Amino acid sequence: MNVAAQVAAMPPPEGSFGAGFSWAIARDLTLALRHPGETLLVVAFFVLVASLFPMGVGADPQLLLRIGPGVIWVCALLAAFLSLPSLFAADYADGTLEQMVLSPHPMPGWVSGKIAAHWLVSGLPLTVLSPLLGLQYGLEVATLAALAAALAIGTPVLSLLGAACSALALGARGGGILLALLALPLFVPVLIFGAGAAEAQAAGLSSAPHLSLLGALAIVATMGLPFAVCAAVRIALD
Amino acid sequence: MSHDYFIWMSYGAAAIAVAAELIALRLGRARALRRIEEEKDLETQD
Amino acid sequence: MNLFFFSSPPTFFRLAGAMAPWFFVLAAVLAAAGLYVGFVVAPTDAVQGEVYRIIFIHVPAAWMSMFLYFVMACWGAASLTFNTRLSAMMARAIAPTGAMFTFIALWSGAFWGRPTWGTYWVWDARMTSELVLLFLYFGFIALANAFEDPRRGDRAAALLGIIGVVNLPIIYFSVQWWNTLHQGSSVSFKGTSMHIAMLWGMLLMALACWMYAIGASLVRVRSVILEREARTRWVRELGPRASAAIAAPGVTKLPG
Repeated sequence: MNVAAQVAAMPPPEGSFGAGFSWAIARDLTLALRHPGETLLVVAFFVLVASLFPMGVGADPQLLLRIGPGVIWVCALLAAFLSLPSLFAADYADGTLEQMVLSPHPMPGWVSGKIAAHWLVSGLPLTVLSPLLGLQYGLEVATLAALAAALAIGTPVLSLLGAACSALALGARGGGILLALLALPLFVPVLIFGAGAAEAQAAGLSSAPHLSLLGALAIVATMGLPFAVCAAVRIALD
Repeated sequence: MSHDYFIWMSYGAAAIAVAAELIALRLGRARALRRIEEEKDLETQD
Repeated sequence: MNLFFFSSPPTFFRLAGAMAPWFFVLAAVLAAAGLYVGFVVAPTDAVQGEVYRIIFIHVPAAWMSMFLYFVMACWGAASLTFNTRLSAMMARAIAPTGAMFTFIALWSGAFWGRPTWGTYWVWDARMTSELVLLFLYFGFIALANAFEDPRRGDRAAALLGIIGVVNLPIIYFSVQWWNTLHQGSSVSFKGTSMHIAMLWGMLLMALACWMYAIGASLVRVRSVILEREARTRWVRELGPRASAAIAAPGVTKLPG
């Protein structure tokens, strides 16, 4: 057979969710590790702003104990939000995103992979660092544990919501401010349940209800939002 | 502050907001019409 | 009659023009009735005195703000599903009116809070939810207008509206939860027991706001249609009669 017939006889490339997911997560992690500036920026911002609050409100231990979980959560929100543009913007600008849409792998697969990679370099470092910042505010061990658990469950939701907003705003005028306006209101339930979990623990109550609600949010977000992100990316590329 | 002040401020703001919206609707209409006229002037110039 | 008959811009333009004035008239009549019931029929409250009468604008505005977001999201969903331009234009037309009602709810809530609870801003569940809702509206409007291509703005905003409307109950629930944990029920707008006249007053005012919202959206969508369809023949042929066509809706016939 000649070459053309051989090529025509080859089966079409088959994509799978898993293959797309692992490809995307590996790629984005590699890129992030080659340019660690972005990750370090997120971490530095988190630590910096959390350290600014006591300077602003005074170092009264009682006050810091009360505001600690909330402040750390707000800082986590802002830091997570800061890293959002890097999720799609670079790939959109140089045309890689269009190529990825054409790949045989189902779109929710590699989109989820990108979001997972984003969480690994933004949400995860924040979660790991939160106990240190919590100590700055004088929080107890049980509270620190609740705070870290809440962040561990909540920051993926932030990444998912943020990814949807980031995809919607691709190529839009208004840049970062527009993204803030879109994302921060949607972050509110995560903030409420996440900070609430740590505050409940600090008050001696169980943090289980908050963490359960946060977990429910995480499940719903993981099931539903990747499809919304895919739709948003398709809208952006039309 | 008498309670009447608060009632007036609430309903007054609502009335002003409605009036502002109606004015904005008129202005939007006028702008759309102006744009159509401009388009047609440009056309006739071609 | 085929439903899609009305999804053609020139047809809907004429229909909206004919219907809008009637909705405004209805709104005025219902508002007059509602304010009469609210200020004349409903009795003075034992606890709050006269100032509770703010409820007749605060609660209907809050209801409308949430209802309109839902309707806006539905129009957006329709525009994505059926790929109709007009549905997206309706969504855009509703947004500013929805934001206005949210603002009225917030403002009247503040002026109700001051004499009753001592401060203008009260972090209760409704006020906080309304504040978040205001930002959701701003986000929708900003996103819709953030692109060169208006169709891109239509679709992005429509998707945002869907995400927002799914989130809205979650946000409301989470804020309720947060509020009951932090402040208990001492600070609440539900202090009074509902006299039947109060309920009627709120319902009439809510209907009035709804009719007004429909009227305003219909008027606004006509401007949106004109701007977006400016290059089409039927808009051009409105010509010098355009101003007349709009000043006297339903009177002038559009060219066939």
